[in-house]
Amino acid sequence: MNKRLIFSLAGAALVASVVGISQPDTAEARIKLATLPDKEAVVVRFDHPNQVLVEEERTISLQKGLNTVDYSWAGTNIDKGSIVFRAVDVNSKVEILSTSYPPGEAALTWSISSPDARSEKFRLSYLMANIQRETDYRAIVSNDEKSLTFRHYFKIRNWSGGTFDSADFITRDGKTFEKGLDQGEAKRVLVNKWEKVSLTKEYVYDQYRSSEGKVMTDYVLKNTKEMGLGAIPLEYGKVRIYQDDGKGTTAFTGEDWGQFTPIGDDMRLNIGIAQDIKVELKKMVNDVENRRGNVYDTNEVDEYEIKNFKDSEAELILVLRVQGEWEMQKDSEGYTSYERIDNETIKFKVKCPAKGTPIKLKFHYKRLNNW
Amino acid sequence: MHRPFNQREKNKMRLLLPILALLMAAPLVAKEELVTLPERDSVQLTIYNSEDLTLVRERRRLTFKQGDNRIQFSWANTLIDPTSVEFEPVGDEAKKAIEVRDTSYPAESHEMLIWTVSCNQPAGYEVQISYFTSGISWSAEYSGIVDATEDNVDLTAYVTVHNHSGEEYENASVRLVVGVIHLVERIVDLAQPGESTGRAWRRGDVEEMERALEDAKDEVNEDGMARPKEIQKAGLSEYYIYTVGGTETIPNGWSKRLRSFEVKGVPLKTVYRLEPDKFGWAFTKVLEFKNDEEHKLGKEPLPDGLLRLYRDAGEGRLSFMGALASKYIPKNEEVKVNVGPDAECTLKEKRTSLKKKDLVFNQWSQLVGYTTVEMFELEVKNFRARDVEVEIHRSMAGDFDFASEDKWEKHDADTQKIHFTLKAGSERKLALTVTTRQGTNSRK
Repeated sequence: MNKRLIFSLAGAALVASVVGISQPDTAEARIKLATLPDKEAVVVRFDHPNQVLVEEERTISLQKGLNTVDYSWAGTNIDKGSIVFRAVDVNSKVEILSTSYPPGEAALTWSISSPDARSEKFRLSYLMANIQRETDYRAIVSNDEKSLTFRHYFKIRNWSGGTFDSADFITRDGKTFEKGLDQGEAKRVLVNKWEKVSLTKEYVYDQYRSSEGKVMTDYVLKNTKEMGLGAIPLEYGKVRIYQDDGKGTTAFTGEDWGQFTPIGDDMRLNIGIAQDIKVELKKMVNDVENRRGNVYDTNEVDEYEIKNFKDSEAELILVLRVQGEWEMQKDSEGYTSYERIDNETIKFKVKCPAKGTPIKLKFHYKRLNNW
Repeated sequence: MHRPFNQREKNKMRLLLPILALLMAAPLVAKEELVTLPERDSVQLTIYNSEDLTLVRERRRLTFKQGDNRIQFSWANTLIDPTSVEFEPVGDEAKKAIEVRDTSYPAESHEMLIWTVSCNQPAGYEVQISYFTSGISWSAEYSGIVDATEDNVDLTAYVTVHNHSGEEYENASVRLVVGVIHLVERIVDLAQPGESTGRAWRRGDVEEMERALEDAKDEVNEDGMARPKEIQKAGLSEYYIYTVGGTETIPNGWSKRLRSFEVKGVPLKTVYRLEPDKFGWAFTKVLEFKNDEEHKLGKEPLPDGLLRLYRDAGEGRLSFMGALASKYIPKNEEVKVNVGPDAECTLKEKRTSLKKKDLVFNQWSQLVGYTTVEMFELEVKNFRARDVEVEIHRSMAGDFDFASEDKWEKHDADTQKIHFTLKAGSERKLALTVTTRQGTNSRK
């Protein structure tokens, strides 16, 4: 009793699979009497950050005793070593005895032992290369820039060599969508839509981001439930931002790369330059003091003159950096609040009156123990 | 389970009994010979994974006539080390009756030898021919299915035998040696004509190992149904020997994977680690178990091999977690599988303050020593719905003092570590101060 069963994935993988019975020891070609087993479920999982796991179910007719099942995947990018082959029924009496790999073929052969003649459903899991994925977002910002509708899209492109007639695609955050996907085909699917997500608009002056001292306009989304998000960590991806123009249509206002954002963190999106807010930096004091040998301190005053030409008051955030050991001096002024983010970084918030009325931020600090 | 393969005849090793070539000392003038081809009765492979080395012992039953018998053994297109081929009668009777008088290596072929065997009691005797070959190897692989809560893993170990030796070994009993042996010359080099310079390995070493082994048992068929073969493991000196139950046929070019063991429900621990020495600079999720009895393992060392971990994604479905090229894991050793950074548990570190003090000048008022005081804040957040364990290693350089109100402990001269449990959905901030003496302030 050594019937030979074959199901193969030649060429148009996943579509045509063959179960066949043949003589095991023929000299040249294997004679196959083939039937086509129904493929009951295909699942493509993207929950690993850079691997794609495919699972499929097949019902295979087994004879009592020893059965040989061939599996081949010519032309597809299956990772041979990753293949897991199991009976779906965890209490199945069917045993998989060994796996053999022929030379130079994208194929393997299982030796399966069955207590009786039966149809057994198996699940086949493997990693498949060259199924590309991409996340992107579309944000529709309300006219008052206080909230937005945030759409999360998942795009897949199939270069794996396989074809998926109908499969459940599962994203990293567990969303499932059913689609067919041909070789070379791409699909973009809306996987999440969050309405009324709170939005903070910030004007930021940061010379690390704009060496010319331009003011950046940022939208900040907090990935928390309170702010309307917080369901999943947000994947890295491009965010296209549109704004409701109040006339029933939207206008494209910019795009940025959204960085990977764990739950609780901020996603900061730069939508462009705020040209109506100008910052001019002048060094008012730059003295050396307290010399000891080759060691000295500095006394420095940086003055930022800010003009907001908008019709309404605005708040500007200045992210300033000083290297080494330093202390801010008490006579610094012109801010509503400040926060020392870390040793090198300090953040000031400055209220800027409307219509170009200048306001000055005086940042007085001493750098200590330089040499 | 045989596929046709073309080299089968071409590469076949042959043992020929030249029936008409009766004259013992006659030079090989005539090339016409009538020969019989005795079949192999049994074959046993002992495969090493640290070197490209396999000891083959095959037994054949030959009929000997009174006087001298010439036996030709050839191995065209295989990877046999000619210096290792040996002929030995099996059993007391055979040992009394037959003896190898000489071995000649004909000039016209580098892949052939002829034994002259004298016989004083004509009969059929069993003989054993043994030799080293290269081209057969084995490797270990592991597959683990982690349950949804990450508390247990079902672990399956496999061994895969790869045959690229040029020869098909039919119905061979197979033994696999785990361990690192010492060879002075590579068998694959010795298999090349003209390359042989001497014996590669003391045969005694292998034989000692062989003697300690039982014969392979056939697979158990209680209810007439085949079960996955049992692979028995036994320790020997610095080695471990896996004996595959029954016999295997592995055609040339093929590989065959067999289950070595399967253990369900190995208790698993999840630890988030920042350990740059072992897992790089990222805060990574590490799944841990131990190769000991408490973890339902520990019966044998785990040879090096690729470990693939899948997670139970519900309804029997799998999700890929990660793979690790595992090193040899002795009994009682810990296994740590780095499955990469996990957004559900994060760590951020920042330096909140830097101060310099205790400045020292030399007679020319040049700074020669100072001390820095740096404060750091580490924020660990657990977004998961379960408690997690966290271990952080923090290395410093130079002559430093480390201070913290958190319970850090010394790991080595330059490293402090802290281990704690972080409740589901909570966060913890750690503060530490590192004081480093530089220049003449340094006592190191």
